[in-house]
This record gives sequence, structure tokens and C-alpha cells, in this order.
Amino acid sequence: MTTTTYDGHAEEKNYLNAKPGIWSWLTTLDHKRIGVMYLISILFAFFLGGMLALLVRTELLTPGKTIVDADTYNQLFTLHGAIMIFLFIIPGIPAAIGNFVLPLMLGAKDVAFPRLNLLSWYLWITGAVFAIVSMVVGAVDTGWTFYTPYSTQTSTQVINMTMGVFILGFSSIFTGLNFVVTIHKLRPAGMTWWRMPLMLWGLYATAIIQVLATPVLGITLLLLVAERALGVGIFDPSLGGDPLLYQHFFWFYSHPAVYIMILPAMGVISELISVHSRKTIFGYHAIALSSVAIAAFSFIVWGHHMFTAMSPMGNMIFSALTFSVSIPSAVKTFNWLATLYRGHIRLNAPMLYALAFIFLFGIGGLTGLFLGALATDIHLHDTYFIVAHFHYVMFGGTVIAFLGGIHHWWPKMFGRMYNENLARIACLLIFLGFNFTFFTQFILGTMGMPRRYYDYIDTFATLHQFSTMGSYIMAVGFFLTAGYLIHSLVAGERAVENPWGAATLEWRTASPPIEHNFHETPDANYPYDYSVNRYNPETGNYDYIGPSRVDDHGHAVGFHGAESTT
Amino acid sequence: MNHTPPDTLTVIDSGGGPDRGQINPPGTGTFGFVVLLLSLAVLFFSTMLGYAYVRWNAPEWPPPDMPPLPRTLWLSTLLIIVSSVTVQHAVRAVRRDDAGGLRTALVATWILGALFLIIQTMNYMSLASSNLTAKTNLYGFTFYMLTFLHALHVIGGLIPLAIVIRRAFQGRYSSFYHPGVRYQAMYWHFLDLIWLFIFVVLMLGS
Repeated sequence: MTTTTYDGHAEEKNYLNAKPGIWSWLTTLDHKRIGVMYLISILFAFFLGGMLALLVRTELLTPGKTIVDADTYNQLFTLHGAIMIFLFIIPGIPAAIGNFVLPLMLGAKDVAFPRLNLLSWYLWITGAVFAIVSMVVGAVDTGWTFYTPYSTQTSTQVINMTMGVFILGFSSIFTGLNFVVTIHKLRPAGMTWWRMPLMLWGLYATAIIQVLATPVLGITLLLLVAERALGVGIFDPSLGGDPLLYQHFFWFYSHPAVYIMILPAMGVISELISVHSRKTIFGYHAIALSSVAIAAFSFIVWGHHMFTAMSPMGNMIFSALTFSVSIPSAVKTFNWLATLYRGHIRLNAPMLYALAFIFLFGIGGLTGLFLGALATDIHLHDTYFIVAHFHYVMFGGTVIAFLGGIHHWWPKMFGRMYNENLARIACLLIFLGFNFTFFTQFILGTMGMPRRYYDYIDTFATLHQFSTMGSYIMAVGFFLTAGYLIHSLVAGERAVENPWGAATLEWRTASPPIEHNFHETPDANYPYDYSVNRYNPETGNYDYIGPSRVDDHGHAVGFHGAESTT
Repeated sequence: MNHTPPDTLTVIDSGGGPDRGQINPPGTGTFGFVVLLLSLAVLFFSTMLGYAYVRWNAPEWPPPDMPPLPRTLWLSTLLIIVSSVTVQHAVRAVRRDDAGGLRTALVATWILGALFLIIQTMNYMSLASSNLTAKTNLYGFTFYMLTFLHALHVIGGLIPLAIVIRRAFQGRYSSFYHPGVRYQAMYWHFLDLIWLFIFVVLMLGS
């Protein structure tokens, strides 16, 4: 076993070059290729949304007009929000990284329904085309929430955009369905629920929300389109409708959707922290169950988006329920910290992103408490404080975890190593730029700067300029990342099977994997038992030697001396 | 579903084709179908909750001078319940390898489904003739929305049912292999159950 490392498979075809031609990609049923197609697609959306964000920040450099007029500004921030949420963050980790790693982590050949998987990608493309067409022919200026009655009255392309989002919903449901069934039915021998990698617990909890919450968004958007197209009074009070009904419907999906965005990120972080501190995960059961708890809570907190519109009793109930979400979130955070404690921490890019995640998600989570508390929310709602909180969770949480995951699985996906030093610099730039951009917005919010405003008083100018500078620093970090990742594809050092010494199954096949993933189905070990690998200084690979010392529960025992750390 | 014989041809039934060498364990397709139905159930229940929200916030229901719901709703309810019985007959027939019984039961189900849609259309026409359309007010809109959403899913069930019937006439099902019949029956029972919920909600509401 120790001799058949990378060299043995060197000449073998992998999933990237097994079948040639663009047509073989567009008709592929291979989850790895579909994952890569998702990755390229969502990165395109991320680029688009990022450019829009830079335009928004540039406009806010000075009070009054800087580069665009007020109407264009409204369109810019709406499109930034809609594209980032629906085209990038929701499908980001599950559909791109998840598609690639989920069957590999199960030691399976593919997801349960490969055709449905490909259909999901085509639905994503169709939804994206709708969204981009709506941008080209007249944009949307409602904010990404499409609140009524404005969204039924504005002359912009609301129907086009909401139909796009409606179609993206199907893509999301089908991916979720595929993942639920795959995890239930295709776990290999030896992998009980309690020996499943935490990434899969994260994806599983996400998939449950995708399947059970997304249909509500579907009916909401259909009603919105019905009101706009037929003039039926459902939400618009002037037609006899009720705008609060829209908000209940919208947030009943969109609050769980926030957890669709964060749960897979938490799954990624659980892998990164454990692998790159060379230490078994602390509190496996607690982390796994807290994912499920967050998914369950996610369905009963939507009312905190409507504190100004409900009865005092309703507000108190939703406030209390909102606070309870912080319990499972804190459980995860403390378990990650306990995992780091006395670990052999490698400060490479995936670990730096994981540490950034804990820090930024911590701030995002803690500021959420001020928004969940009724007395402070009255002052902070609809200010930049909300914008900053939201970005600390969504960007500081999900996007940072996405970047960490991309760096962690990059060698497996493309068989190449990226430049570690450039990756560290880029991570630092993004981290600093992010805090410059959004920490200032917490201050602006407490000073009373309302969100979504085109103009502001001179007092706020310095902080706004600080924030804009931060966004430029972030942009440099992202372009640097794109640069060294693309460079690694052609000139990067070839990756070995298991460069990190991880113990999950996706590292027990070649990098990049062969078309059918494994030569023979691997038997599952406890995913955080690092004594199954031994470092080979000649190849740089962590060779699989099998579980050596395992207690009655299959947990690793005494793994610290089992390998030399690099 | 406990009596379902072991399905050794799940590979074909569940979409994992030979192209990927994927062999799904028995019951994978059925489980996926259950998840899909759960997702659809959320769609209907959230719509019913929306109806309840509008209903309890209305000062008067039905609003003054509005016609009551048509009595023929009872007839459509009866039809869909009977169609659930016939589709279950089809499942029992195919498990006994009773090809004739399978065909009869499937065709009967299709006819009952079509009749259900005709009665629903007549309900719409009678309401429209008393000047209640989807655009009149929320009373009208919620009724049309709930029933039309369901009707769309019935139409979406009649099309695959027609394909299943064709395959039954070609003799492609046996007690050993009949995923189409099984999924069709699951979907049909689901539509029946959802209709009963909608019916009860509408009756309680007015």
C-alpha cells in the first residue's frame, strides 16, 4: 500500500481528460465535471456581482452624485444583491464544492440521480440567463427582497428577474433532493451516520432546507407575478391586498435560505480546522447535531425581519426564538476552538481562511444579537448596521469558507498545487479589505446612516471613503487569487493523492480523480482519525496505511506521533 | 408499501444509468420520490396558510354579495377519492401479474382524473357567471389559486399516467418490475390527500 502512491497512477486518464471536447462536458453525468461547471458558472456570477459592488462603493465615495445617478444606483445595489444571493451564495458551496466532494467522501461513483444533477445545472443556467437579460434590458430597482407594493408598481424588469429566481429555485430543490437521497442511500459499508464527515452533515442539513423551504419562495414569486401581470390585489393595499402577507411568505423562505448559505460553510470549516491542525475534531456529535438544530430553528425565526410590523407579543416570541439560534452556532464555534487547542496548526491558505471565518463569523453572529433584541433593533434596523451584520455573516462567513474550501480541494479538483505564499498574501488582503469595508459600516449604522441611500451628510464622508478603499483592497486580493489559481492550472506543481494528510475518502484516490472515482470502493474509517496516514517524505504524500489504533467506537487513539508534520 | 417485492432493477428505475456505473440500492428511486412529494406538500401547505392568513384578517367571509362556493366541489372530491381507489387497484393488479386488471384500473383512473378536471372547470364557470373571478377580490383569488394550483398538478399527473397506460398495454410491467405504476400511484394518492386538505380548508373557511 505504501508504494502505490502518485507515481503508480501518473499516466492514467483522469476525469478532466477522460473524454475530450466541449460536448462531452455539456452532456456529462459525472458529478465532478458538473461541480466544475457549477464552479465556473458561479464564479462568473461572483465576478459580475463583485463589479456591481465596486460600482456601488465608488458611487458612495462622495455625497451626492459621484459616477451614476440615483436611479442607476438603486439598480446597481439591487442587482448586486440579487446576483450574489441567488446566483452565487445559495448554489456556491453545495452545488460547486458539494457536487464535487459529496460522492467522493462517500466512496461512491456518483450522486443517486446523475441526470437530475445535470438538469439542475441547466436550470441554473436558464435562471441566470433570465437574470442577466433583465439586467441588460432595464434592470431591477426594488432591492433583492422585491418588497411589495413597490415591486408591483416599478417599471423595471421585476417579472423577468423573479422568473429567473423561480427557475433557480428548482435547481436548488433538485440539488437538495439529490444530496438527501445520496447521503441516505449511498453511504459505504462502515460509514454510519456518526462516522460521516461533518461536511456531509452540513450539506445534509442544507439539503433538507432546500427541499422544504424553496417551494414557499416559488409560490411567493408566482403571486408577485400574478399581481403584476393580472392586476390582482394580493399584496398591494390600494388593490385590496396585504403587503405583510408578502413579507411573511418571502421571509419564510429567505430566512431559512440564510442557513442554506451558512450551513455548508460550517461543514467546510469543520473539515479545514481538523485537517490543518492535524487533530481529530473536538465534539463531533455536537457539531453534527448543531447543524440539524440550526436547520430546524431556521424555519421558526422569519418574523425577526418584520419587527416593525407585528404585535408586541409576536415580536417577543420571534426575538426569543432568534436568540436560541445562537446556541448551536456557539456550540460549533467553541468546538472548532477546542479542536485548534494544542493542534499542529499549519498556517496555510485553507487554515488562514478557516481562522478568518471563526473571527468574522463571530463578529457577524454577535452583532446579530443586537438586531434580535427588540430595544436595540428599533434603532439599528434599516441602517448600515444591518448591511455590515449581513456581510459579516454572508461574506465573512460563507464566502470566506468557500475560498477556504476551494484552496483545500483545489489539488484534488485539478491535480495542481497553487502558490502558497501568494495565497497567504491574498487571504490577508481580503481579510483586511473586508474589515475596512464593513467594520466602518457598523459605525456608520450606529451613527444613523440608513441603508440603500444614494446621498448622505458630510459627517459620514470619511467613513464612507474608508469603506470604499477597503472594497478596492478586497478587489486586489480577489484578482490576485484568480491570477495564481489560473496560473497553477498550467504551471502549478503536480498534486499528490493526499497532500494535506486528510482522512476523508476523497483523498484516497488520484488527484485529479479517475472518471469513476475509485479503482475499488474504499472502506470507511473514522473521518478524523489521522493515524490512518503516514507521511512519505520522498513523494510528499500521506500514504494510507489503514486504521491502526481504534477504540470500541471507531475513534482514533494516539494519532499524534503517527506522522511527521510539515 | 411494505409488500413491495424486492426491486432488483433499481438501476434503471432510479436514473443512475450504466454510463456512470452507479448501482443504487433498492428503494432509492422511491425514497427520492417521497422527498419530491414532501417538497410539493410544502408548496400546497404554504399556499393554504396564505389562504388562512387572508381569511382570518378579513372582516367578513365571504364578502357581502359574493356567491358561496359551488356545491359541485363535493362531486369533484368524490371523484378524486374514487380515482385513488382505482389506482391502488392497479398496483395490486400488477403485483398479481394481472395485466387486464392493471389496464382497466389505469384507464379508469385516467378517466376519473379527467372528469375531476371537467367538474373543476364547471365550478370556475359557475362562479364566473356570478361575477366572481380571480380578479374580483381576495375571496375569489384565493379560491382560484388553491384549486388551480392543484388542477395544474392533476394535469401534470395525467400526462405521465398516459405514458404508464401505454406501457401497460405494451406489457412492459410485471410483478417484478413496475416502477412507473408505483410512482404514479404514490403521486395520485398525494394529489388526493392534498385535495382533501384543500377541500376541508375551503369548507371551514366559508
